[in-house]
Amino acid sequence: MPSGTKSNPWLISGFLLAVFLLSWHFFTMRPTFDPRGMTEEQLQLMEFNGDIVKTPDGGYTWNPEKEKVKGVPGPLAVLDKARAELAEAFVKKGTNDHGIAYLVMYTVSRFAAGFLAASVVAIMVGILLGLNKVLFRAVNPYIQILKPISPLAWMPLLLYTVKDPKWTAILVVFMAALWPTLATTAFGVNSLRKDYLHVAAILQLSWIKRLFKVILPGAAPTIVNGLRISFGSALVAVVPAEMLLGELGVGYLSWIEWNNLDIAGVIFAILVVGFVGVILDSGFNKLAGLVTYQE
Amino acid sequence: MSIVRSNSEDSANRNTSAMPSSEQCFDRTVERAVVAAVLQAAGPTRRQLLAGLGGAALAALIGEVLPLDKLKAFAADPVGKPEKKDLSIGFIPITCATPIIMAEPLGFYKKYGLNATVKRAAGWAMVRDWAINKEVDAAHMLTPMPLAITLGVGSVPVPFYMPAVENINGQAITLHVKHRDVKSPADMKGFRFCVPFDFSMHNYLLRYFLAEGGVHPDKDVQIRVVPPPEMVANLKAGNVNGYLAPDPFNQRAVYENVGFIYKLSKEIWDRHPCCAFTVSKEFAAQYPNTFGALFRAIVDATHYASNPAHRKEIAAAIAPTNYLNQPVTVLEQVLTGTYADGLGNIKKEPSRIDFDPYPWHSMAIWIMTQMKRWGHLKGDVNYKAVAEQVYRASDCDRIAKELGYPTHQATSMKHTIMGKVFDPDQADAYVKSFAINSMV
Amino acid sequence: MAFLQVDHATKYFPNPSGGGQVCIFKDVTIKIEKGEFVTVIGHSGCGKSTLLNIIAGLETMSEGGVILNGREASGPGLDRMVVFQSFALMPWMTVFDNIALAVRSAYPDWSREQVVAHVHKYIALVGLTGAENKRPTALSGGMKQRVGLARAFSIEPEVLLLDEPFAQIDALTRGVIQEELIQMWNSSRNTVFMVTHDVDEAILLSDRIMLMTNGPEARIAEIVEVTVPRPRSRATIIEHPHYYRIRNHIIHFLVRHAKHERGCDGTPTSNSVSEAPVEVNFEKESPRAKLTAL
Repeated sequence: MPSGTKSNPWLISGFLLAVFLLSWHFFTMRPTFDPRGMTEEQLQLMEFNGDIVKTPDGGYTWNPEKEKVKGVPGPLAVLDKARAELAEAFVKKGTNDHGIAYLVMYTVSRFAAGFLAASVVAIMVGILLGLNKVLFRAVNPYIQILKPISPLAWMPLLLYTVKDPKWTAILVVFMAALWPTLATTAFGVNSLRKDYLHVAAILQLSWIKRLFKVILPGAAPTIVNGLRISFGSALVAVVPAEMLLGELGVGYLSWIEWNNLDIAGVIFAILVVGFVGVILDSGFNKLAGLVTYQE
Repeated sequence: MSIVRSNSEDSANRNTSAMPSSEQCFDRTVERAVVAAVLQAAGPTRRQLLAGLGGAALAALIGEVLPLDKLKAFAADPVGKPEKKDLSIGFIPITCATPIIMAEPLGFYKKYGLNATVKRAAGWAMVRDWAINKEVDAAHMLTPMPLAITLGVGSVPVPFYMPAVENINGQAITLHVKHRDVKSPADMKGFRFCVPFDFSMHNYLLRYFLAEGGVHPDKDVQIRVVPPPEMVANLKAGNVNGYLAPDPFNQRAVYENVGFIYKLSKEIWDRHPCCAFTVSKEFAAQYPNTFGALFRAIVDATHYASNPAHRKEIAAAIAPTNYLNQPVTVLEQVLTGTYADGLGNIKKEPSRIDFDPYPWHSMAIWIMTQMKRWGHLKGDVNYKAVAEQVYRASDCDRIAKELGYPTHQATSMKHTIMGKVFDPDQADAYVKSFAINSMV
Repeated sequence: MAFLQVDHATKYFPNPSGGGQVCIFKDVTIKIEKGEFVTVIGHSGCGKSTLLNIIAGLETMSEGGVILNGREASGPGLDRMVVFQSFALMPWMTVFDNIALAVRSAYPDWSREQVVAHVHKYIALVGLTGAENKRPTALSGGMKQRVGLARAFSIEPEVLLLDEPFAQIDALTRGVIQEELIQMWNSSRNTVFMVTHDVDEAILLSDRIMLMTNGPEARIAEIVEVTVPRPRSRATIIEHPHYYRIRNHIIHFLVRHAKHERGCDGTPTSNSVSEAPVEVNFEKESPRAKLTAL
């Protein structure tokens, strides 16, 4: 018996996916339409109501338009929906119907604006608090109170003051991304080994040099961890923000598909959100790799 | 609009001014027309009071509430170039907004020189916020909403105009199929209903219907606010037992085989107003020509929609994802009035939904009486003044006349709701006449 | 006035358990001449590291002052460079960059070439040529401290402060580095103030050894002159007749002061706070030197 054969993780992955897809298909299959036992009147009513359609050879079959909205759709229905959406990814069919590529772009840019702004503010304030224990203790109670508030709870207040839904959506993302980075930056800077700061003091480094050569690189791994958490939090917030504010984007898409009870569309929108998240997250990992160091 | 000239007024004016110019004559005419309309709409005691003031003083008093000078400008230059061509109009994806929505694909906005796009909102609060924050220039709203916003109920008070009603009828009470044996409101005690918004005809009609059946809407049932698109999903999930909603969500429930249409709203009050086309007073004053063009486009589209021959074409035009995002067959059933009712029958009700833009003042007064009845409005209200300020009946008729559509003899009339007559001149008495209410 | 003088230094800390303050050391005066190598020895917690930090300007004293070359030294500066027990190398910088950071701070007007040459010189001095681009995490403890020494010497400070520099290095490497330190110091002859536990190390390296009592209210009880002539090496120093006398003397001192000299309420039991340190010099063999004070 040959020993030492390595089990390939990708094979297992593929196998799991196949099992999942097959069971999904199996559980959402519907038997073909059987008109036996139905009166002409009943058939006409069903046809009128859009349940069934006449086939070219005079028989009846389930209306594919309606299949989309009956219960949970199977993987093939989702695939059809995906094909249809991706075919028109770059088309703008009206003010309320832009192609999926545009929607992804809107969502990502909204997310990026809020996240980047929050990260800059959080890192700056976090460094200030990390370096100054007195200030930190003074400000910390407010951070603890504001941190657990769901970013979407801010939405009505923000909309009322800012009035513009576009800016409100960005600000909701901002509020989501601010706190984790702020807290971890303050912590990371605070727990930076005092020795490094001593060296910086003895060498009489200017505050700029101290910031960029000692404090930031030293606290970078902790800051990046905080950014990662903020990132997830912001991504979670951007989708419902779009739904509540009616701003075009992927969140808006899943909302509209839900309104039309097009579950295949909802699943498709979810997959798109997940896909975008994966791409952004891997970009993040690269960034994290650049700044980690070992003591 | 009928004009009543009292001779005493004419002589009063002639005495106070010397040799008026033709422009002044014209201005006076408009003033007099407005004054007369107000006087006519006022009750007898009020008429005496107001007449005692004298024409000029009365016009000044009215001018505080109505921008008379803007009206004059409006009347004087009916086909001026629009100041602002690119407009955004908010709407909710329901069939009530048909004239607003169809005006884009069927070219009505373009016809009057406007480049208007319709922007879809997810719920009424969103539309309200967009309208108040000027995110949109005009909006599709529920008929009580411009009244509520002007009065500052449920939002910051901002004066709004409702120049046209979008649709009449077009709603229904839909129940879950498991309630197919329900015969009357008494069977509905303990039910959970949903309506699109607190200040909506849906809410007031549902409450009226339940109260007439001896069921107290605030004590015997639960009424929740749910955005119309979510109602079918809620019904499917069993969260609610039924709803009084705008179409297409009644027909959609039938389409989904989860609900049946229990009662059409026209069976409660035939030709009741449902949704409205609104602009802020500021918009109408700042862009009078644009407002005029927009107004014309809407009135034209509304009259086009009221013609049964056009309904199928309209259903196809507003079905795509950009507008209503509904299957065409559902919209056809709603707009043509030939529909499956969910209990195995096909029914024919051509005026299941209809379109008539005229904003009767009496409708506004009825809405306000109901708002008072259920505690949405507290304190004394000058029903007539507010109705006339917000519901632009005379403007609507002026446009209708221009476009060749029929006009009306009065701005108020008596209405019959579920067999009971509503006299707009007896509004206070009407409010007090209900045994079931939630007034404090 | 000595080249480096600590005048009547007193340090209080807030009492961690309960209120009030604890006096770490009181009225300590140290005089160090230019080019001298002085070590302070005492038990852990007696405050010697605090004393070093005060001289470095990284901590403040409650009373007293530090005077360097006739001027008061307050706050950290390039004239008093520290070599840390934990090496304190920035782990995100290479060996080269760590030293270059110091060189650029000390000589801001130098050109890039000058800096590079200078850094390479000191890397060579500590025998780490070839390791310039390594990160500290890839170095052993001994190598890390060599970088620390290179960094310190490269800025040619007036005073070198060594805070238990070899405590975290294994015993075998320690001896080697100690001799390397002697080599480096020989050529530049900075004034050095070192703190250590290691008696042998102190004798090998220093001109004078100050013995510190235990806290609270620690003080310099004795100053022992290391009468072994330079140059010294580990192999030869132990042959010198004074070596073991000095060594034993110090160990006796440390043993005597092993217990904390505190009463139940935290007040010191000894009250010879204001006495000047006893000078011990085995060459002079005075009866007073044989006295085991306190």
